[in-house]
Amino acid sequence: MGEVELSCLAYVKMYLHGCLFPRCSVNGLLLSSSPAGGTVCVTDCVPLLHSHLPLAPITQLALTQVDVWCAQTQQRIVGYYQANACVSDNSPTPCALKIADKIAEQCNNAVLLMIDGGKMSPDYRVPPIVMYERKDTRWTLKDKHTIMLRQWEETREIASQLLDSGDHSLLVDFDSHLDDITRDWTNQKLNAKIAELSSPANGNV
Amino acid sequence: MLYESMSFLYYLNPEKYKLRKWREDNHRNSEQIVDVGEELINEHASKLGDDIWIIYEQVMIAALDCSRDDLAWTCLQELKKQFPGSQRVKRLAGMRLEALEKYEDASKQYDSILQDDPTNTAARKRKISILKAQGKSAEAIRELNEYLEQFVGDQEAWHELSELYINEHDYGKAAFCLEELMMTNPHNHLYCEQYAEVKYTQGGLENLELSRKYFAQALKLNNGNMRALFGLYMSASHIAASPKVNATVKKANVKYAAWATNQINRAYQLAGRGTKENKCSVKAVEEMLESMQITMS
Repeated sequence: MGEVELSCLAYVKMYLHGCLFPRCSVNGLLLSSSPAGGTVCVTDCVPLLHSHLPLAPITQLALTQVDVWCAQTQQRIVGYYQANACVSDNSPTPCALKIADKIAEQCNNAVLLMIDGGKMSPDYRVPPIVMYERKDTRWTLKDKHTIMLRQWEETREIASQLLDSGDHSLLVDFDSHLDDITRDWTNQKLNAKIAELSSPANGNV
Repeated sequence: MLYESMSFLYYLNPEKYKLRKWREDNHRNSEQIVDVGEELINEHASKLGDDIWIIYEQVMIAALDCSRDDLAWTCLQELKKQFPGSQRVKRLAGMRLEALEKYEDASKQYDSILQDDPTNTAARKRKISILKAQGKSAEAIRELNEYLEQFVGDQEAWHELSELYINEHDYGKAAFCLEELMMTNPHNHLYCEQYAEVKYTQGGLENLELSRKYFAQALKLNNGNMRALFGLYMSASHIAASPKVNATVKKANVKYAAWATNQINRAYQLAGRGTKENKCSVKAVEEMLESMQITMS
């Protein structure tokens, strides 16, 4: 089936989003700046909510705004991620499936990504994620071998570093933006920090 | 007078004052509490007088939140020594067991409290929290309903129940809980706004009109509530675009939506001033509002 590549930037922000709200379910959108067709390259993500995930108005608002922003910045919405508050259950909730369905209407090989909260600690050596793809009308588990994270060790290291330094609090999700609209949900500041940490100058390739 | 004595307190012992403020405001800033509290306990215990006990309790709960079982254990031991046989300390011991995911043992702890004192609301609520932590939503909902039959005035419980219902997509029942909360807290803009969101989610013309009314009410109570402002915009726009409404209703809702657009634009203009980083989100909103206007007409 289709291959999916997850960038350092997308992974780190998703991970930090989960860490910033450990007691809540969180979700967000996966974006790609690559053209459609072939491997799905998830190059960025937009963290959305940490409260009332199933409620419609804010989700609709966020989807519309991110859509507009994507058009302005030549990106596409290619997927959806969610981390459940209840760490023992990482299966997609009805609202996750609904939003993923909507995204799949516009994007053929959309992905649904669930973060496995129970495996987020530094002892785990593998990415704590589970991916689903749409086959016919159902979301089915993706073969792990079709999911690529380049430079996984470096990515993991960057995520840990930002967590330790407290920089994860820089992350702004759409919910936080609505609490204070001077905060930027496109996370330019955090993006720059992540880019800095992953640049060749820091010994990371 | 009160202001003077508060700042005097702050000057005397800023850390102690901070902890007290966080207690009073019920903040769950656990990492901060652990930072400040641990130092206070280790370095200045003798100077805290009787306040030390409530600080031990506060720090212990925060420590559990941060997986600092070492610190939580220390606090618990001190409290056990000072207040042997206390129900309040027993509850804290139960919370520690919960944090260690020893749910059976925690439940037994709370049951023993309830045996001695069947009206102990804290123990009952902890038992419901255990069900929630175990993902047993249906049971948690059932127990919480039973609890509320007895303790009808417990706001926290009503709100918790509304959240549980929302997660189960039972919007009708969630709305009922929020109606209870709005009745007893008519000036709380957050309850109005959440109620409006639930109504909007339920869908259908009648619910949309209700949602618009309650978004408007939330704004009246707090004109800085952006969710309510966007909600008003979206609900009014949907009503105006509906083929089922007559011309008068349509006209009124177009007006509401236009007013909301104005307010949103103003808010974002203000927010976008100065900082370069906000330009992206400001532009996104502008375009979004424009594009939605086109579909409405």
